[in-house]
Amino acid sequence: MRPTAVKSNRSLCLGHHRCWERVLGLLTRLGGASPLMHQPPPASCSSSCECARVGVRVSALAPAAAPCPAPRQLPCPRLPEPPSRGTSTLIPARLGPWCSPTGSPAPLSCETGCGEGSWILVCRLLVPTQVSLLSMEEDIDTRKINNSFLRDHSYATEADIISTVEFNHTGELLATGDKGGRVVIFQREQESKNQVHRRGEYNVYSTFQSHEPEFDYLKSLEIEEKINKIRWLPQQNAAYFLLSTNDKTVKLWKVSERDKRPEGYNLKDEEGRLRDPATITTLRVPVLRPMDLMVEATPRRVFANAHTYHINSISVNSDYETYMSADDLRINLWNFEITNQSFNIVDIKPANMEELTEVITAAEFHPHHCNTFVYSSSKGTIRLCDMRASALCDRHTKFFEEPEDPSNRSFFSEIISSISDVKFSHSGRYIMTRDYLTVKVWDLNMENRPIETYQVHDYLRSKLCSLYENDCIFDKFECVWNGSDSVIMTGSYNNFFRMFDRNTKRDVTLEASRENSKPRAILKPRKVCVGGKRRKDEISVDSLDFSKKILHTAWHPSENIIAVAATNNLYIFQDKVN
Amino acid sequence: MEVQKEAQRIMTLSVWKMYHSRMQRGGLRLHRSLQLSLVMRSARELYLSAKVEALEPEVSLPPTLPSDPRLHPPREAESTAETATPDGEHPSPEPMDTQEAPTAEETSAYCAPRPAKVSRKRRSSSLSDGGDAGLVPSKKARLEEKEEEEGASSEVADRLQPPPAQAEGAFPNLARVLQRRFSGLLNCSPAAPPTAPPACEAKPACRPADSMLNVLVRAVVAF
Repeated sequence: MRPTAVKSNRSLCLGHHRCWERVLGLLTRLGGASPLMHQPPPASCSSSCECARVGVRVSALAPAAAPCPAPRQLPCPRLPEPPSRGTSTLIPARLGPWCSPTGSPAPLSCETGCGEGSWILVCRLLVPTQVSLLSMEEDIDTRKINNSFLRDHSYATEADIISTVEFNHTGELLATGDKGGRVVIFQREQESKNQVHRRGEYNVYSTFQSHEPEFDYLKSLEIEEKINKIRWLPQQNAAYFLLSTNDKTVKLWKVSERDKRPEGYNLKDEEGRLRDPATITTLRVPVLRPMDLMVEATPRRVFANAHTYHINSISVNSDYETYMSADDLRINLWNFEITNQSFNIVDIKPANMEELTEVITAAEFHPHHCNTFVYSSSKGTIRLCDMRASALCDRHTKFFEEPEDPSNRSFFSEIISSISDVKFSHSGRYIMTRDYLTVKVWDLNMENRPIETYQVHDYLRSKLCSLYENDCIFDKFECVWNGSDSVIMTGSYNNFFRMFDRNTKRDVTLEASRENSKPRAILKPRKVCVGGKRRKDEISVDSLDFSKKILHTAWHPSENIIAVAATNNLYIFQDKVN
Repeated sequence: MEVQKEAQRIMTLSVWKMYHSRMQRGGLRLHRSLQLSLVMRSARELYLSAKVEALEPEVSLPPTLPSDPRLHPPREAESTAETATPDGEHPSPEPMDTQEAPTAEETSAYCAPRPAKVSRKRRSSSLSDGGDAGLVPSKKARLEEKEEEEGASSEVADRLQPPPAQAEGAFPNLARVLQRRFSGLLNCSPAAPPTAPPACEAKPACRPADSMLNVLVRAVVAF
C-alpha cells in the first residue's frame, strides 16, 4: 500500500497510526498537501489504531471496524515484562542456563533420529496473558461461565490454551495460536560469541490479537476466536507473512520489524504535537535514527464469509500464490491477492443432509506439486486430488483406505477411525495420517493399505467407553514429520508425546511436564504399563491424566528441535549432541 | 439385559451430549454431531439386537425388506429441521449386528463395573440434573399415554408377521428394523449367549423400553 498525495481534507490510512508521521512528512516534502483535518495521532503508542475513523481507503485490508493492533514496543529480551493480570507469569519462563549443543553449533543431522540422541529441555514458555482488546472490555469470568463445557483444569484461563504451533520455513520463528485468538511468535535467539550456550532458545518476538469473537446474527451463533491453524508463507522480503484462521475467517498477517524512525519533522515536535507555524523559522530534512526494535503485525488480507462450516485446516500451495481452506464439507481455493472471491474445489455436501456419512477433517497441498492436494475424512479415508483434472475436484485421483480389521471391530470403531490430521512428508512421497489410536504412513503409490502403522496408545483400546464419556475420544491429535522424514512424532495423554523412528523402528515416549523441567535435564523415556505388574518407573493406564493432552506439536524443518504445546505451556526440546 | 442397559446408557449419553453441544460456544460442530449420531446408531442397533435375542427366535423367517433402516417416524418433519444435525444414517451391513453382539458383551462387561461413574454428578451438568436432563424424565412421562398405541404396533412387530409395506401404527420403521434384525440373527448361527428371560416375559418388559428407545430417537430427530 503506497501513500498517495490526495488533495482532500481527509488523510490516508495505511494500517496503523504510526504511519501518520510518514504520510505527513511525505506530503510536506511534496509541498502540495492541504491542511489535514485529522486528529493528530495520540502521543502514546499504546492506544488502538485511529485510522479506521478517518481513512479514505482501506481496500484490501481489514474492514474499517477491525482492530489494528497498535505496534507494541517489545522490551529487550533480557528484561521481563511487568506481569499482567491472571496467574500466568512472565515471558518467558526460564529455568536457568540451558544445555546447548556442545562443540560446533552446526545443526545436528536429522539422521540421528530419536533413539540415538537424547532430548533436553531448552525452555518452557508460557503464553503471555496479555491484556487483550477483548478482555479489557469483557469480564473473563462471564466467558468461563458461559462455556458450560469448561472441564476441571488447573490452567489460568481457558484463553491461554495453545491451539496450534508452527515453525516457519527456516525454523527461526515459531508461531503459536491460542484459544483467545492471540498469536504469539517466538524467535530463535541468535548465536553470539560470548553467549554461545544460549543458542537455541526462543524468545517472544511478537504478540498480536489475530481474531476476535464474532456473532453470526443470521444463525444466532457465536463464532469462536480460537486460532485453529497457522501457516507461514515463505519469506520473500524482510517481512514475515503468516496465515491464521479461526472457524470462519482466514487472515494474512504481516510481521515486520522497525528499528529506525524519522526524526526532525518541521511541522511537528518530537512528541507529535503540531507546532505553531509561526514558530517555525527553519526547515530541515527529517533523518532516520535508530530506535529500539519494534515488531509490528498488521492484517494485510481478510478472507471471510466463504465457509458455512467450521474451518479445520489451511494449506499454502507451493506456488506461493494460492492457498486452500477446508471446512467440514467444502474446500476453497484462494488467491492471496483476492479476498472477495474463492474457488470451491471440493464439495462433499450431499443434497439431502440426512444422508451425510462423512466429513472432511484435514487437507494439505503437496509440498512440490502445486496441482496436487489430499484431504482426509472422518471415515478414515484419504483422497488425493489433481486440480488439473477438473475445476471441481469431487472425483479423486487416488483413494487411500485400509480395509478394516474385523478382529478390532468394536462399538466405537467408526469414531476412532476418523483421521484427525494428514501431513505430507517433506519429500512429497509419503503422507502420514493420525487417527485416534494410530499413526499411519502411506506411500502415494499404494492406495490399498499404509506402508507403516504405529500404535500410539493402544492400551486405550479397551477404555473407549469411558473415553467416550469424558469426551476424550473426540480429541484431535496432530502429527509431524522431522526434517528428513525419518522420524514422526505425535502427542498422547498425560502430557506424553511419542516419536517413532521409521528406519530403526524404535519408538520413545517422552513427557512434557513442569516437574521434569530442570536445566540440562535429559528427558527420560516414559513407559505405560498395560499388564498387571507395574515396574518402578512405569505409569499404569488408570493413573493417566486425560485432561493433560498434547494435541499440537511442531518439528523444526532442519534441526532436531521440537515444540510441544501442553495446555498453556510451550515446551521446546532439543536433541543433545554428545 | 446387561447389553441392553449398556446400550441404553450410551444412547442416553449421546443424546445428552448432542443436546449440550448446541449450547457450546462456536455453535454445532458438524463432525462431532456426526460422530455422536454414529455412536447412537450403533448403540441403538446393539440394543435392538440384544432385545431381539432375548425374544428367542421361534418364528419363521420372514422375507427381508430392502435395507433402508429409518427409525425416524417423523422424518418428514425432520427434513425441515435444521440441517446442522444430520443423523449420519447409512445402511448398516448385516454382519455388523451379529458381530456387535459378542463384542458388546465385552464392552458392556467392562463398562459394567462403572455404573458408579454414570451416576456421579458431572461437574457442569449431570444426567440426573432436573433442569438439563428434563429431556429424559419428561419423555418418560409421555410413555404412559403412548404405551397403548405403541404396544399395539410393537406387538405386531414382535410377532413378526410379514410386515405390510404401508405404515402400521405410529412406528412402521420400527417394525421393519426389528424384522431385519431378526433375519440377520437367524441367518448366522446365534453366537451370542442367549439371555435368560423367555420371550413372553421379555415382551412386556421390552415394550416400555422400546418406547423409550423411540422417544430417545425422536429427541434426536428434534434436533
